[in-house]
Amino acid sequence: MSETLPLPTAPVPASRAFEISSLIFFALIALSLSGLVFLDTGWRGIGLFGLGGILGVAFLSFQYGFASVWRQALVHGEVMGLAAHFLLIGLCAIVFIPASLWGLNAVGTIAPVSVSLFIGAFMFGIGMQLANGCGSGVLFSFGGGSGRMVIALPFFILGSLLGSFLLPTALEWGSAGPIAVAGALAELPQTALNLALIGGSGMGFYLLGRQRGQQLPATLFMASIIIAILCWAVFALSGHPWGVTFGFTLWGAKIAQDLGVPVESFTFWQWSGPARSLKHSLLSDTSSLMNIGMVLGAGMLASISGRLGGQDWPSGKQLIAAALGGILMGIGARLSFGCNIGAFLGGIASGSLHGWIWFVLAMAGSFIGIQLRPKFGLSR
Amino acid sequence: MTLTPKIIYMVIVLAGTILLIGDHLTSPALTAVGSPSELGNACAPCGAPCIDTDTN
Repeated sequence: MSETLPLPTAPVPASRAFEISSLIFFALIALSLSGLVFLDTGWRGIGLFGLGGILGVAFLSFQYGFASVWRQALVHGEVMGLAAHFLLIGLCAIVFIPASLWGLNAVGTIAPVSVSLFIGAFMFGIGMQLANGCGSGVLFSFGGGSGRMVIALPFFILGSLLGSFLLPTALEWGSAGPIAVAGALAELPQTALNLALIGGSGMGFYLLGRQRGQQLPATLFMASIIIAILCWAVFALSGHPWGVTFGFTLWGAKIAQDLGVPVESFTFWQWSGPARSLKHSLLSDTSSLMNIGMVLGAGMLASISGRLGGQDWPSGKQLIAAALGGILMGIGARLSFGCNIGAFLGGIASGSLHGWIWFVLAMAGSFIGIQLRPKFGLSR
Repeated sequence: MTLTPKIIYMVIVLAGTILLIGDHLTSPALTAVGSPSELGNACAPCGAPCIDTDTN
């Protein structure tokens, strides 16, 4: 009597099978949201949603960070990462400052130079070292399934909401208003002067690195160029530089409203821009739409590359640091008009003085944050 | 079942998606995606006031 033997099949590891189901899970969410976005805001909405997704993929695949690069510079004197950041900023400035010369209907981010900017950027710097990630870092690492960011993100959102309540009072502490570097000049000389400042800073870090025997990693160089191209696309399509943290503030406000908090009675939410964002769907807010895209893009890449299943919880102390860092970054971002993306990248690349001040103060805050890291079981 | 970051993460993403779709379906429609700098008197996408802080 013959017996039918089962055909030999390669075993599928449980974790791998889970990654495939994760990919389908993210793809289904992306597809559903794309449909809703398209119905209301058409191809422009879809374009921004997609750009958020591609940015998530780019940041996660290159592990393009700000917090770790700044820490490397402050602790080990490794400054090539900072040179790469200024390369990215310089490339963006070429398009952002003379936007009308490129025929773009877009404007840069010129935010006020205020006392709140100094305090907020300093707080943000401390927070980004404790949470081990900044605005973009929290998003793409969360998308990649990082346990630390599962904690940091909700606290970032909470801090950002608290920051929105504090900002109107903080602005009364003193503000010189928005100041554009060489703003009195025509577009071309203004761009040239700003590029000289950005290029000088980037070249300064590069030469310092060379003097110390360092070299700019090719992947970091490539990543800066790819991200700059994506930032140009965001600028052209959205009409302004890429920003991350207003989305967090809006998410916090919507959740608080659902819980019965009269968010709309706070001054910040009575300003016409935020008020309109609060009233309408999150999917019609550029920052929210791109943030959601970034999480889904990073999630899909993490599923494909098998990273999603390999995440462990950090220690309790590190989770406390993530929560504390999230709160500090949230409040700091609101008081200082953005994060490493909206204020540092978007601000400097737009020729706004606030971006430069943000950089210096956030770097000072990072120095303090690095000193605090060992208390939470984190390496310097 | 152990509560790994992956499980909690997936639950948060799913809950967030449900909240997001709920918010979208119950909010007034805008025909264009925008940010405070386009929708109101903010001078930056983050909602920073530009010229004044008057309401509407």
